[in-house]
Amino acid sequence: MSTLTPHPDPGHGISNEDFLKFREFFYRRTGISFEASKRYFVDKRLAERIEATATGTFRGYFTLLRFQASGEELQLLTNSMTVNETYFLREEYQFQCLVDSILPEIVKHKVDSDPIRIWCIPSSSGEEPYSIAMYLLEKWSQINAWDVEIISSDIDTSILRRARQARYSSRSVQYVPARWLAKYFKAAGDEYQLSDDVRQAVEFTRVNLAEPADTIKYRNFDVIFCRNLLIYFDDLSRKNATDTFYEALNPAGYICLGHSESMSRISSLFKVRKFPEAIVYQKTREAK
Amino acid sequence: MKRVLIVDDAATVRMYHRGVLESRGFAVEEALNGIEALEKALETPFDLLLVDVNMPRLDGLGFLKEMRRQQIPQPPAIMVSTEAAARDEMAACHAGANCYLVKPVRPLQLLAHARLMLGEANQ
Amino acid sequence: MALVRTKTAGEDAGRAGQAGAAALPEAADCVDLADGLESAEASVRRHAAKEILRCPNAGAALVSRLKREQDIAVRAAILTTLIRLDDPAATAELAGCLRSEDVALRNEAIEALGVLAGTGDRAGAVPPVLASLLADADPDVRIFAVNVMGSMAHPDVERWLIQVIESDAHLNVCATALDLLCEVGTEASIDSLVRIKVRFAAEAFIQFAADLALKRIGEI
Repeated sequence: MSTLTPHPDPGHGISNEDFLKFREFFYRRTGISFEASKRYFVDKRLAERIEATATGTFRGYFTLLRFQASGEELQLLTNSMTVNETYFLREEYQFQCLVDSILPEIVKHKVDSDPIRIWCIPSSSGEEPYSIAMYLLEKWSQINAWDVEIISSDIDTSILRRARQARYSSRSVQYVPARWLAKYFKAAGDEYQLSDDVRQAVEFTRVNLAEPADTIKYRNFDVIFCRNLLIYFDDLSRKNATDTFYEALNPAGYICLGHSESMSRISSLFKVRKFPEAIVYQKTREAK
Repeated sequence: MKRVLIVDDAATVRMYHRGVLESRGFAVEEALNGIEALEKALETPFDLLLVDVNMPRLDGLGFLKEMRRQQIPQPPAIMVSTEAAARDEMAACHAGANCYLVKPVRPLQLLAHARLMLGEANQ
Repeated sequence: MALVRTKTAGEDAGRAGQAGAAALPEAADCVDLADGLESAEASVRRHAAKEILRCPNAGAALVSRLKREQDIAVRAAILTTLIRLDDPAATAELAGCLRSEDVALRNEAIEALGVLAGTGDRAGAVPPVLASLLADADPDVRIFAVNVMGSMAHPDVERWLIQVIESDAHLNVCATALDLLCEVGTEASIDSLVRIKVRFAAEAFIQFAADLALKRIGEI
């Protein structure tokens, strides 16, 4: 009754049933679902991890994955199954959703003239918060009517240093439109240096999401971008993180998660909202 | 082709129901809790929902209520549950379910109800 | 107006709160926090639910509030604290919530027990509770107990599931156990899987699920 057509064993000693069992388990734990066409990709990653863990067979490896108390192997596997590359304008449809749908709603309900606040976590090397800054400058017609604060946080201070420095490879800027590239970047040898205007628009801070003393000052945000982070957390860390986001958001504030992520694995604290460009999650309006 | 969304946290139940429905030409999508179901229902409309009552994060009744609150057009919904108690059946009806079946659902019973819900009883 | 640099959540401000935050609360603070759990203000209750973590008897107070709490955010905070507490008495209380008529409470309890039992050092309190749940007279409670096992990394999960399919008279309890055996079943389950097919020979779903489990173990 499976949806897969019988498949000759593509090697690595992983049978069709093994693949189906793994696919279900991985989907339930991470929310990441693989089509049958991804079979080769999945088998290859599994074979790598079977070798790295010296578990010998799929069965031995699956037992480790399923019963390891620390959940460490599941995290390592998730890492290898997801291509977590960061570059400018990655998952651009979300930024489009921000300017076309989310910000108009925020502005419509806003009763004060305080700045609109956006929190970006993890900051990584800065491509995401800077993309948001450029997007707002270029695409949001109301940018001159409102103040916007962008705060970007990471646990890793060395990556924050790189983010502040804002010097990027050509690969990192490959999807930046030529006009934006000319306007906001300066060539520096093989690399591109982001202009001070955009750099100064983003505040970088060091935060450990698991540390309440770190996160307590983060309040009154209207939008949180948290892409491709929660999938790497265990259940309790995810609960803590979503709690933190709930506290950090204004009533009716929004969370944008990564492309393969869903709040359905994480929390019922937020409502699903469908906009033309993307699905995002929203804190209830009446909540304090 | 009529599209059915199966919402259940048990993989074997989803597979079983999928097999029954696909064998009679239904196109099937799956979700394993109410929040994921809501995401799928927002993405594309379905002709029929087959929803478990007990699920983590957002249960079956909560899912139907949330659809209504968000004004997502709701297709006919068959609720399935292990509980035969009348209280659940009443709660399911109140939440907008059209019928309530007790697990395990037999293949012919499922198909008969699916066709009835879709107004295809005579086919 | 434009993009502006914030002054309110700067690095220094973010780091400043760190000192002293982990200190144990005074006894008087614990009384205040217990009162706070019963406040009319949801934000006060939520704050109390998080801060009460290090107070004596926090578990009992939290579960008592959870059973009456309507605010979803307060409930979430209570459950997170209960998980962090990992207090055997509170875990037993949480298990008691599986008998509740309140679907949301029941599901939250299943999930919390699963997380409690999910990882190494927090696994202590759940197995004894689980044994009593699996012996409960209400089949739904037994189903929920099997649901809890779904996220448990305990090495005895398969053994408990085998006991369920060998001895539980209720169709849906066995069906739920079979669902999980499709994931965790090994050669140790084969005989019991064959037997349950005989015991429920007329039930198509049991045949389907048991066959799938056998197929995944490599027996069919």
